[in-house]
Amino acid sequence: MKTSLIQESSTSDVSRKDKEETSPFVQYFRNIFNAVSSTIKGMSITLNYVLTRKPTSIEYPEVREVLPANARMRLYNDALNCIACNQCAMACPVDCIYITSYPRPKDLEVPKTEDGTPKRQVLVQYTIDTSLCCYCGLCTTVCPTECITHSHDYEFAQYTVGQFKYDYTDEDIIAWRDRILGQKNK
Amino acid sequence: MIKENDKQHEHLDHHHDEEEVMEDYEVGTKPESLRSELLTLNMGPQHPATHGVLRIEIKTDSEIVAEAIPHIGYLHRCMEKHSENLDYRGIIPFVDRMDYLASISMEVGYALTVEKMLGTEVPARATFIRTLVSELQRIASHLVAFGTYALDLGAFTPFLYAFDQREKILRFFEEISGARLLYNYVWIGGVWHDITEGQIEFLRDFLDEFEKELDEYHVLVTSNSIFKDRTKDVAIIDLKTCFEYGATGPVLRGAGYRWDLRKIQPYLLYNQLEFDIPVGGDHPQVGGVVGDCLSRYYVRMCEMRESVKIIRQLIEKIPAGPIMGKVPKIIKLPKGEIYMRTECPRGELGYHLVSDGGKEPYRLKVKSPCFTHVSILPKIGPGLMIADFVAAVGSIDIVLGEVDR
Repeated sequence: MKTSLIQESSTSDVSRKDKEETSPFVQYFRNIFNAVSSTIKGMSITLNYVLTRKPTSIEYPEVREVLPANARMRLYNDALNCIACNQCAMACPVDCIYITSYPRPKDLEVPKTEDGTPKRQVLVQYTIDTSLCCYCGLCTTVCPTECITHSHDYEFAQYTVGQFKYDYTDEDIIAWRDRILGQKNK
Repeated sequence: MIKENDKQHEHLDHHHDEEEVMEDYEVGTKPESLRSELLTLNMGPQHPATHGVLRIEIKTDSEIVAEAIPHIGYLHRCMEKHSENLDYRGIIPFVDRMDYLASISMEVGYALTVEKMLGTEVPARATFIRTLVSELQRIASHLVAFGTYALDLGAFTPFLYAFDQREKILRFFEEISGARLLYNYVWIGGVWHDITEGQIEFLRDFLDEFEKELDEYHVLVTSNSIFKDRTKDVAIIDLKTCFEYGATGPVLRGAGYRWDLRKIQPYLLYNQLEFDIPVGGDHPQVGGVVGDCLSRYYVRMCEMRESVKIIRQLIEKIPAGPIMGKVPKIIKLPKGEIYMRTECPRGELGYHLVSDGGKEPYRLKVKSPCFTHVSILPKIGPGLMIADFVAAVGSIDIVLGEVDR
């Protein structure tokens, strides 16, 4: 009741004149008719959705959506192909990549990556703090050997924040290599 | 309404006099003298109707807002200061996070600013793609505005329908850029990934379907008499207020002023495209007065249709060619400053970039449309019912990430 009073007081003069012409009795029933008829119109659309549309939601743990080829999920660095050039760490806007390396001693043979780039640095540690990462993808674009990529893993909840620091020179993580490269080639 | 209040006060005063008379008879049993005062109510920061973490301190007189004071800063992430320590490419992910519902529009504005200062030529295909994605982003952003506005007013179903359509646009963005919301897609000098023929085909199907959906939204929401009663003649922002506060975008167009930077100061390809600028009062059959919540809502709905029109024109004549221009590996802007403005879904977005010739900007100031619109709330708030105030906040469509930056 109060709402209608306020709305009437704030309407312009033109609409007020219109309302004065029709009697409140007629207006009352016209309002009811308008409300009911527009609700029925809306309901018919909803009913149409219920009957003719397929559900668009998917039941997540059982059914999984296929990600696009360039989807940006958890970072993965292929440590075997990394030349420790530090470019990804420079490009990272949130500084979440930590690299430790030293120049390879001269008397040792210089190994090469898969695309033939000599690995002049010995990679000791390559850590990404995934909890800091903002998934912008800038590190992947500057990599000369294309060893750092966004994998398609998106389920990596952990119990503590510290567990999000992945050292990609770790053997357990190198073991992911085949699976992640397989995702990319799919 | 104010008169009604005064009557109440008179009534109370009258009572008071009677009690004073009573006092003479029964000493010691005096009832506490009746008085009225404003009740302070916090709307937010975790209120679902405030669209993010906006806190509005409302002083209410019964159910009528007497004073509304917005408190901002709950989503302040220091983006402007932080960008002074980043190279020009690294700022783009931060720019994304300002208006997280229209990231592409933010990126386009920033990329145009840097390119203009750098003097880079952007390839024709990249410009086409940029125009295309920024119009798609406008549809996605307005769909959220439409859905959440209906949600604010108590209708849940339109929200789901709007998000169903938005999901298709987000899927398209995910395919071209790799992310669903924070794209980092528009780069300085061009765009990151190319659009394939299949994706354009997908867009064609989507647009046909979306136009039909849009008609259904109008039947479902716009013509609904409850929705109309809630929005008609509520929270009127007239042209004078718009000019005083510097409102832009759908708020200004809802007040009946034909102002759109895509026409006034064309950037990208907008001077080659045919489209109209819908303003409040174009469709008098909708009802209400110019500048109320309904006309702001209706301007957004019409803009979506115009965006569909623009995208249809674009995908017919998209040229082949490269998508990245020649940009130096380390971007160093010449000494100087620039102000560049673009029309993002919520209004006029401006970047003021000051460079001292180094790898990082000296200062990057962002003129955000939502900040301006939040500042109108104390002006339009007083006199509204609390439920109408929720409708007013929803109708200006704010994103707090952009207000606080």
